[in-house]
Amino acid sequence: MNLIEKLYNSLYTNTTSKAFYINEVFYTYKQLQQVVENIRYNIQQQINDSVKLIGLVTNNDLETYAAILALWFEGKGYVPLNSNNPIERNKHILELTDVIHIIDSSEHSNYSEYQVIKSKYLESITFTLKLPHVNLKDLAYVLFTSGSTGTPKGVPISFYNLNSFVTAIDKDSNFRIVNTDRCLQMFELTFDMSVVSYLLPLLEGACIYTIPQKAIKYFYVFKLIKEQKLTVLTLVASIIHYLKPYFEEINAPDVRFCSFAGGSLYTDIASQWSSCIPNCKIFNYYGPTETTIYSGYYPYNKHTHTKSHNGIISIGTPMGDLNYIIVDHRNNELPIGKTGELCISGGQVTSGYWKNETRNKTSFFIKMVDNRNQRFYKTGDLCYKDKDGNFMYIGRSDFQVKIRGFRVELAEIEHHAKTISKKVNIIALDVINKLGNAELALAIEGKPFDDTDMISYMKTKMPDYMIPTHIKYIEELPHNMNGKVDRKTLKTYFKLD
Amino acid sequence: MKKQEILKKIEEALTTTLEHNNFELTEKTTAEDVDGWESVTHMMIISELENTLSIKFKLMDLMNMNNVGDLMRIIEKEL
Repeated sequence: MNLIEKLYNSLYTNTTSKAFYINEVFYTYKQLQQVVENIRYNIQQQINDSVKLIGLVTNNDLETYAAILALWFEGKGYVPLNSNNPIERNKHILELTDVIHIIDSSEHSNYSEYQVIKSKYLESITFTLKLPHVNLKDLAYVLFTSGSTGTPKGVPISFYNLNSFVTAIDKDSNFRIVNTDRCLQMFELTFDMSVVSYLLPLLEGACIYTIPQKAIKYFYVFKLIKEQKLTVLTLVASIIHYLKPYFEEINAPDVRFCSFAGGSLYTDIASQWSSCIPNCKIFNYYGPTETTIYSGYYPYNKHTHTKSHNGIISIGTPMGDLNYIIVDHRNNELPIGKTGELCISGGQVTSGYWKNETRNKTSFFIKMVDNRNQRFYKTGDLCYKDKDGNFMYIGRSDFQVKIRGFRVELAEIEHHAKTISKKVNIIALDVINKLGNAELALAIEGKPFDDTDMISYMKTKMPDYMIPTHIKYIEELPHNMNGKVDRKTLKTYFKLD
Repeated sequence: MKKQEILKKIEEALTTTLEHNNFELTEKTTAEDVDGWESVTHMMIISELENTLSIKFKLMDLMNMNNVGDLMRIIEKEL
């Protein structure tokens, strides 16, 4: 598989098919192709061959998606800049990556001190540009996530990484997009689930449906499913948590595939959701940004495949050439059934954090496994492998907290609280009291209720030190930009004396 | 419930959720016009209204709502 070649061929053979539905307007592959060529021509004219990374302002329009293709066809990678993020943060990212060129489709660019290609205002070229040789070692994109030290952490993904990912997906006969599919793309381009949402449809000549910047995301997703009869959904679990009160109104028989990633998927809500999409295969994907989008999945089916631990659906097995091992804190491999940190090796693993040697020394290691030296990424996720070879997700290693010296798994507390209260959104947190000790707190989404029974039940399931001492009822749990529960903000709701 | 009362309920739900009242609501007001009114807070506002008015919206109505006037009409329908 040559990703770039396949992408190029798809663009030039699916000409009359619809490529995008953006702000309620359809664009064909032919139209996309024209914008890609206009941008490529300008890149060739204005940017030196040796420049490999370009900033990309992530607007929801054809020009922004075309810019990604144009950059890749020119062997360059993008650094996404979300206009909703503070400009200082974006400029800091540009500084970290030494980027001086930006492609911006905005009417007025905020990057006047950079060299900007204004992609909305380019002349149409009338000749076809050929595909040059793309070096797989070059970068396809660099994404920045929040770093514990306050400086954003850059994850560079090469064409080789991305090619390995697409090859792995391609080999999997369970999931196959075809050119008549209508696929949802609901993610910010700064989040790597966006890549899978636009790339896989583009490779097959399918159509991508995006969310207008001003729309109420959750309802608009439903509107697209209903009115545009989407067939492929890529979601984070929080979406269905928001839609849950209205599940009985949802019946979407056209949906063929529904992929979840970016957080734990729970059996109770997955089972209810699967009734809304009766003809659909559900995939519970798992994968850190560092291993290129998805590294593996579990094929959930409410009747036949329901493997879970503490109510969290299994993350299944690794895809493609990836290898999973479970290790202890000294990176020694642990046997089946033992919980430890999940580590991943293979072609999808990033070369390392952007200019961050200290971090790279602790996050990656080389180990002899299956008679060969392999380079592993430490995910920080606690898992175990069961006897059938499926991996079970326990929680983040940093969600393991110490209470009065005992090691406590927050996910376990959440599980018991959820089982008894039948509520989906319950988060256990460790909160520091004035004496500097960690205490357990429980944030429950929704209206207050008498929690005596819940606590009594939990006391029958867990030792005393695992019983939360603080409970708060919160109308809606705070979420971060990627749709995950924002635990940091949630902790500030608990002020302990 | 009169139109003005419904508008008042919406104002209250917005104030509770967004923790500010720096807005003036008319039927033409959209989420864009009000600071902090976006996808996540919208879900909170909807659930606040459902709870305080003891109503349950229809997803079909919620998905086609474009401004405060639309919201007023769907509340009227459910009351």
